[in-house]
Amino acid sequence: MKIMVCLKQVPHQDARLDVRSDGTWIQEDNIKFEINSYDTYALEEALRVKDSGEAEVVVVSIGPDRVSQALRTALGMGADRAIHVNDAEAENSDALGIAKILASIAKEENPDLIMTGLMSDDGNFSAVGAMLAELVGIPHTTAVMKVEHTDSGLKLERELEGGALEVVELPRPCLIAVQTGINQVRYASLKGIMAAKKKPIDVKTAGDLGLAGQIAPKMKIEKVYTPPKGDGAEMIEGSTDEVVAKLVSKIKELGLL
Amino acid sequence: MGNILIVAEIQKGKIREATLEMAAIAQKLAGPLGKEVKSVVLGKDIGAAAEELSKKGGGEVFAADHELLANYNVDAFTQATRTAIEAAGADLILVSNTPSGWDFAPRLAAGLDAGFVSDCFNIEEEGGKPVFVRRVFNGKLDARLLPQTDVVVATVQPGATAAFEGATDGKVTNLDAGIDAAAVRAKFIETKVAESKGVDLTKADIIVSGGRGVGAPEKFTETIQPLADALGGAMGASRPVVDAGWLPHEYQVGSSGQVVTPKLYIACGISGAIQHLVGMKASNFIVAINKDGDAPIFEVADVGVVGDLFEVVPALTKAISEAKGG
Ligand SMILES: Cc1cc2nc3c(=O)[nH]c(=O)nc-3n(C[C@H](O)[C@H](O)[C@H](O)COP(=O)(O)OP(=O)(O)OC[C@H]3O[C@@H](n4cnc5c(N)ncnc54)[C@H](O)[C@@H]3O)c2cc1C
Ligand SMILES: Nc1ncnc2c1ncn2[C@@H]1O[C@H](COP(=O)(O)O)[C@@H](O)[C@H]1O
Repeated sequence: MKIMVCLKQVPHQDARLDVRSDGTWIQEDNIKFEINSYDTYALEEALRVKDSGEAEVVVVSIGPDRVSQALRTALGMGADRAIHVNDAEAENSDALGIAKILASIAKEENPDLIMTGLMSDDGNFSAVGAMLAELVGIPHTTAVMKVEHTDSGLKLERELEGGALEVVELPRPCLIAVQTGINQVRYASLKGIMAAKKKPIDVKTAGDLGLAGQIAPKMKIEKVYTPPKGDGAEMIEGSTDEVVAKLVSKIKELGLL
Repeated sequence: MGNILIVAEIQKGKIREATLEMAAIAQKLAGPLGKEVKSVVLGKDIGAAAEELSKKGGGEVFAADHELLANYNVDAFTQATRTAIEAAGADLILVSNTPSGWDFAPRLAAGLDAGFVSDCFNIEEEGGKPVFVRRVFNGKLDARLLPQTDVVVATVQPGATAAFEGATDGKVTNLDAGIDAAAVRAKFIETKVAESKGVDLTKADIIVSGGRGVGAPEKFTETIQPLADALGGAMGASRPVVDAGWLPHEYQVGSSGQVVTPKLYIACGISGAIQHLVGMKASNFIVAINKDGDAPIFEVADVGVVGDLFEVVPALTKAISEAKGG
């Protein structure tokens, strides 16, 4: 079985977010990046298939030079090979443009199963997975919390609200967008990191995929900004003792002490 | 210029509140954008629900009644919505950002080669065009998006707007959903409701919750649980804590955990992503302790402390114990 896992590299969850001078995204220089949290769970789920039998795991990421680091990490965790689409036009694209690039790779690779994360921690679109499935012409399910491989396809549990789950079956080939918490993600071992150095990363552009000029964004970000402060909280300031004294008196006022 | 199409959602046989919120947005935009509001209801035996929506801001409501729409099915819902878009002559399609909405709306947009924008908390009009406003970076920043194309599919955040209040007299039109059963590949098997376990946070008067900022499982036992105990309350958590296996799922507060409304909710090291907020923002009194003064949790809190939870929480625990003892 061949599994294609789509990974996005995103600003580290604790990175400082400053809006860049043109106002349309954050300042990405000099901050740390990491693999999107949702995607680490997708990769782990793919690697588990490989551990329990035969599978080739191909990781794909679209992004600038720094993305090679994320791909090396994925190879270190156990992925077999990587494809890096490094393209200036892709940088300014939107979810549909990203999905178009991934779809053209999927059509070349012909995987039995495609895995994405449910959502990217930066853009929060929650869109690329379902779009990619449509463009490739295969069925999909999002927010996947359990995967069981059957002879003909997959038996999946997708997350609903309040802890409810929906059981769905999909035939292969298909795509699943994985939710966090589906598994416990492994770390790359030292041996894995050493082995990863010999694994190939194939670098491409949108032009190589015949998509030059076809991935202009259909939704343009006019600006990003710190949310306007509403009424907000009454902020308690002072030394820890002062803060605690004020909190205690608030809790007393509530009649809870 | 096309119309607005609201894709309604049925919950327990009735129109879901989130749909009526979209009706409010659509009714507000229709005039300035020069569009008419139309809706589609997808399901089985949905006549009454379609009637209800036509009276509550849905405009002309297309009722797509089909066996394959009885339960959510990505392929059937995508196909039926495309049929409805044509019937309605729509170029602005609104879907709720719920488990079904986020599953099929992007797929629908890709099939139409349309613009797509998810989880908007507001849609404004500017120069006769819609502007979409949404959160990015899990609530830390907002973004305004402008469509570069005529057709846009947008998902709308449930609870972001009040439901449509007025009364309208739209009509209901039956719609042949045009579903090709052979092209329906996904198969719905069953829905499993959440199992109720030991901890029922919905009954607690006081909840002390810890987030990813707590950093390690033992810190919950050492720092968060003692404050909950001192207050005679229960302990809760945000999702990453449960994902990491630090606490079982029954402790999770939020859209995919429990929705709680205690008298006092203390959030420690929780940033305040919308999926957490929907689970606790209706609490009577909220205290937030976070080292990042810009964390969105402070917007829903009554009282906020910018600081290190490992200093504030133990000191608070001690002071509460003393106050109770004395
Ligand atoms: C479909 C879906 C469903 C979801 N359901 C839920 C749900 O039910 N519940 C839920 O919670 N989330 C849910 N999420 C996840 C949600 O989007 C956020 O990722 C999550 O709520 C973030 O949790 P957090 O605030 O603990 O972590 P983070 O966002 O990483 O925040 C950690 C915070 O800790 C602070 N901090 C760090 N160290 C300290 C310290 N020493 N002292 C004080 N503060 C500190 C940081 O400043 C930061 O604000 C869902 C997401 C999706 C897509
Ligand atoms: N630039 C990218 N490169 C590879 N995969 C991506 C990229 N952007 C998004 N994805 C995949 O699509 C998922 C959903 O992302 P999004 O729709 O942007 O929220 C992510 O979890 C990734 O698996």
